[in-house]
Amino acid sequence: MSNRYFAVLGALALFACSEPAATPETVDSADTQSTVSGLQVDVSYHTLENGLRIVLSEDHSVPTATVAVYYGVGFRNEPRNRTGFAHLFEHLMFQGSENLPKGDFDSLIYGAGGVNNGSTRFDFTNYFEVVPSNALEAIIWAEGDRMRAPIIDQEVLENQQGVVTNEVLVNVINQPYGGWIWIDLPMLANENWHNAHNFYGDLTDLQNADLADVQSFFDTYYAPNNAVIAVVGSFDSDETLAWIEREFGSIPASEPAPPIDISEPRQEEEKFGEMYDRLAPQPALGFGYHMPERGSPEYYAMAVLDQILVQGDDSLLTQRIVNEEGYASGVFGGINLLGNMYNYNGPMLWSVGMIHDDAYSDEEIMATVDSVIEGLRTEPISSEQLDRAITKLRSEFYDIVDSSSRFGLADLLASFALFDDDPSRFNRIEQGFDQVTPELVLATAQEYLRPTNRSVLRVIPDPDGTMSENPSGNGE
Amino acid sequence: MLKSSLKLIAIGAACVSMSAAQAQQSQQPVIGPAPSFELPDTRTIQLDNGLEATFIDFGLAPKVNISIQVLAGNVFDGEHTYLADIVAGMMEEGAAGETSEDIARAFASMGGDMNVGVGMHTTNFSANVLSEFGPDAIRRMATIIQQPDFPESEFDRLLQNQIRNMTVARSQAGPLATEAYVGLLYGTEHPYGEGLPDVGEMDSFSMDLVRQFHADYFGAARTRIYIAGRFDQSAMEAAIRDAFADWDTGPDTAVPPAAIRPGPVVRLINREGAPQTTIRLGFPAPEIGTDEAISMTVMNALLGGSFTSRLTRNLREDKGWTYSPGSGITNRVGSSYWTFNADIVTEHTVEAFSEIFDEIQTLQLNAPDDAEATGMRNWLSGIFILQNASTGGLIGQISSRDFFGLPDDYLETYVDRINSVSNDDISSAAADYLPLNDMVLVVVGDLDTIEDGIRAFPQLADAEFITDSE
Repeated sequence: MSNRYFAVLGALALFACSEPAATPETVDSADTQSTVSGLQVDVSYHTLENGLRIVLSEDHSVPTATVAVYYGVGFRNEPRNRTGFAHLFEHLMFQGSENLPKGDFDSLIYGAGGVNNGSTRFDFTNYFEVVPSNALEAIIWAEGDRMRAPIIDQEVLENQQGVVTNEVLVNVINQPYGGWIWIDLPMLANENWHNAHNFYGDLTDLQNADLADVQSFFDTYYAPNNAVIAVVGSFDSDETLAWIEREFGSIPASEPAPPIDISEPRQEEEKFGEMYDRLAPQPALGFGYHMPERGSPEYYAMAVLDQILVQGDDSLLTQRIVNEEGYASGVFGGINLLGNMYNYNGPMLWSVGMIHDDAYSDEEIMATVDSVIEGLRTEPISSEQLDRAITKLRSEFYDIVDSSSRFGLADLLASFALFDDDPSRFNRIEQGFDQVTPELVLATAQEYLRPTNRSVLRVIPDPDGTMSENPSGNGE
Repeated sequence: MLKSSLKLIAIGAACVSMSAAQAQQSQQPVIGPAPSFELPDTRTIQLDNGLEATFIDFGLAPKVNISIQVLAGNVFDGEHTYLADIVAGMMEEGAAGETSEDIARAFASMGGDMNVGVGMHTTNFSANVLSEFGPDAIRRMATIIQQPDFPESEFDRLLQNQIRNMTVARSQAGPLATEAYVGLLYGTEHPYGEGLPDVGEMDSFSMDLVRQFHADYFGAARTRIYIAGRFDQSAMEAAIRDAFADWDTGPDTAVPPAAIRPGPVVRLINREGAPQTTIRLGFPAPEIGTDEAISMTVMNALLGGSFTSRLTRNLREDKGWTYSPGSGITNRVGSSYWTFNADIVTEHTVEAFSEIFDEIQTLQLNAPDDAEATGMRNWLSGIFILQNASTGGLIGQISSRDFFGLPDDYLETYVDRINSVSNDDISSAAADYLPLNDMVLVVVGDLDTIEDGIRAFPQLADAEFITDSE
């Protein structure tokens, strides 16, 4: 193997030293290795001289390969007067590159029998392809061309401003309950602008974006030292590594992106918000609590509380609100509604939402919620409850790995490489579940399920649009 | 450090100097022959009472995906739209003395939920559990399906849930458009043409209707079980035989026959001030399993059914008027239909129709060139692997083959048949099955802005127009 790559162990040691001093205990870090248990995937990890991190994981059960390129830029990084820009930029990266003019990138992938997509989240922007294995080399070449020399001009900028505007219209503005729980609730709950702005974008901000913004954003964030490429599936690791080095190795690194402070203060008072919705036929209620630090013992305990409270038919809020009280058809929620509990890196909410009959007030509903949650804050859960929650967590985790596209595995490997410089963290997730005890769940509920750590957002039907001038609505 | 590799063509001053290190790299690598892909082996057993079970060995994780499909979907709702959904919901409320909470906890302890999904044709009981619990999951599902308690105390709550779901659906442009569209295709007297229950329709539902539906449409010969994943096949077979062998065969009621109606007909639904227009535009299509249906599949991918399709490139990537346009084929027993759908910004809706009609006419008159057509054939061949690369995907593909009575080798020969569709076949499919003068069209949007423009199209000159407010 070429000496251009750092060995896996070196990267892990670096991660262990690079944790900020203020970070609480991490239970799934490399140095807390106990006996290896649960599902293990083979991971090889390399870093090119220009800083590009590479994660490879072979699995030959189906002759496809999944390529995922992750850039360390997301909603939290976008400029203040350019809400929605990270997502708009993601669209622009599909508009052609030096050797693949507009449309040719998609034709290459589709013509090979594959699919591709991209997405923008709080802490990353990703681009991924799933192709029959014979197309892997060509896809790596195409992603290299896109990182090196995308072509973005005024015409494609205007075209994608139109497409993104239509995306916001169809997903938010022309929909009842549009962005309520995934845009508006984080805006209410968070204090720090980086976490608390409308990340889908004000339509005016989207329209104001110009090529100077594009250049600046690309220069700052789209460089190999701010990126990870993960390849998962049926391929030869040595050969694939050589292809990646050939196509990406000469792309120069950029200055590291300026750090931003994304911290949130400890919430000390319960917050309330309301918004009016011209299209909604019934009221909705959502609430969110700030999460413990990712990877901490309390984080895994919150994952257990999530399972106990809202995941699945047996969950306490479903049983109480849907089955006993019956004023909602369903209760949904979780950690990181735009992804899963693993693929984020910063302040995050555990959120719950429901559409409910208008005969019930939000005060009545929150009283019911409190009666369920207070139980978990006063008495330890039984070992049977804990075992059931961990079984559900484990099963859900396996489903991520077993998706037909293998994207779930690529996503977690790339995320852990990007956030932690440690993709093998994947193999220690189950260890995190296993250290949760009823006492830890109780302590976690007492601190993190405090009403004063909570924000509550109501959606009020406003069929005639007469109430919509309210400033706490989303203005859309 | 500024990277200069981003080209800003429109700004004259922003010229680009590429360093030696950034010079064009290698040429595009050649894509070699596609890898061979074989579907996993399956084995099917049939019990004396007619129930069939298929075992599919596939996957990495120690999980087993169980799907029990009963020929008791919405197509048997009769005049009571959503009745099958309420029956399914009531079946989850308790069985053989166990409550819904007992059942939910039992499945959670196995690492999954049991979900009941009601489709047009079947009601599907599914559970994806850790493999060691597979036989236990089968036994519990068998109890729920054969011995539901139907506790009356839960009926009103479930009915209200469905009324709430209907109310929310009626506030969304998409479900409204689809309801109107299937109503034009099949007429609202057949369940194929019923998108949503009418407001007030469900008020007359009763527990008697629920019990009658279960008696009429549940039984062993109406049921197929699919098991996919990593599991102990003999233990799962024994569990199925043990749990289902004594079940009655059940009534022999077939799907009620339906006639599909071509246009020309246009329904306009006003959504005052809507920023986008939601459209459903379509035609009857050849039945699944025919040669014409395979040609139609390739035509669909090229015209509107893939991201690289002509309509997506035109309306989205060239014009920026819509986010996620698409087309597809829906299969029913004895009929099928092709639909193009999109949410188009209101101000460009009329122009968009002009583009849509032009794209269809162009394809009807000119065979696509080989690069484009081969790309589409390759895409369909490649995604066939992806469609069959999960336990859920395999169950979907195999159960659909079985439901429509397609040949045993339908999936094995699919890629070859896709590749045998010629470029001319693609144009012929568009010409034969997308006759613009006979289209079925639903438009939900701000009619003040768009109605006059739509009515002026010559393709709609002979169409019956139906206009209503939302």
